Amino acid sequence: MPKWFTPVAFICAAMFAFSPLVIANADYESTMGLVQKIFYYHMPSAWMFLVAAMVCGVASIRYLVSGDLRHDRTALAAGELLVVFGLLTLVTGPLWARKAWGTFWIWDARTTSSLVSWMIGCAYLILRRYGGPGSEKLAAALALFGMANVPFIYISVNYWRTIHPATSVVPKLPFTMGLPLWYCVISFSLLFYLLLKMRVRLEEQRATLDSLYLSLDEQH
Amino acid sequence: MALVKRTVAMTLLLLACLTVPRAAVAQPAQGGSPKQTNEYVPISQLPPQDQLPAAPLLIAAYSFVLIVFFLYVVSLARRLSSVQRDVDRLGATLKPGSKP
Repeated sequence: MPKWFTPVAFICAAMFAFSPLVIANADYESTMGLVQKIFYYHMPSAWMFLVAAMVCGVASIRYLVSGDLRHDRTALAAGELLVVFGLLTLVTGPLWARKAWGTFWIWDARTTSSLVSWMIGCAYLILRRYGGPGSEKLAAALALFGMANVPFIYISVNYWRTIHPATSVVPKLPFTMGLPLWYCVISFSLLFYLLLKMRVRLEEQRATLDSLYLSLDEQH
Repeated sequence: MALVKRTVAMTLLLLACLTVPRAAVAQPAQGGSPKQTNEYVPISQLPPQDQLPAAPLLIAAYSFVLIVFFLYVVSLARRLSSVQRDVDRLGATLKPGSKP
């Protein structure tokens, strides 16, 4: 790993350790009260989920166009992060909704499209794991569907009548609620980048290992 | 005829005078003091979504996020160190002069 990785990882860990204090000092929302504080982890997770889907899709396009395996490794790393951050979003959201809406789940446009996108991410990983030789291109095509779903997930709350808050909530946040949110967004973004680098590194090492095995076969 | 009209008008005016103030009293003024509490409702009688405490849900959400991150980082680190070990072992094997 590069030299800067360890210090940045420490900064990221410190930011996460300090985040409960920052969130505890945030103002309570008037109607939802304490449970609304799930928002400070739920929303950054959801953003990273969408970012992962975009990175996976863009890297897949670049792989399909150029055939460069580096893009394929990035797509695979982002695909795994899509599933991790999607899982966090799909678990923290219902925990918040149980108190705020009185139910764990509603089949509105955003929750349903998020679930579909997460399942596309799972399908991508399953295809990569068990698809056999040549499954990379098929999986890359699948990643494009995951990426195409991202704008739909984002704008769905503005076009469909739903109890999910609209996208206008974040720009209108007062400073006392905006500061902890952006603090958490920076922490999650940093963590996302570090995990992506680690996961890409793993794929690079696996490629090195494959080439070493081939060299060993040629020696014998 | 004029007398009948005048009588009807006077009756309507009288009715209006009697009913309007009562209606005004019945409608509480907007922005006035909160409604007086006539009874205390035990929390066990509230609908389930109002009874639910928020803290366990909040703690569950935050714990879940941190546990998933921890497990994923551990999993990635283990996979990386395992592959790195294999790369080092094979690299050493492939060096000229070393035994396969």
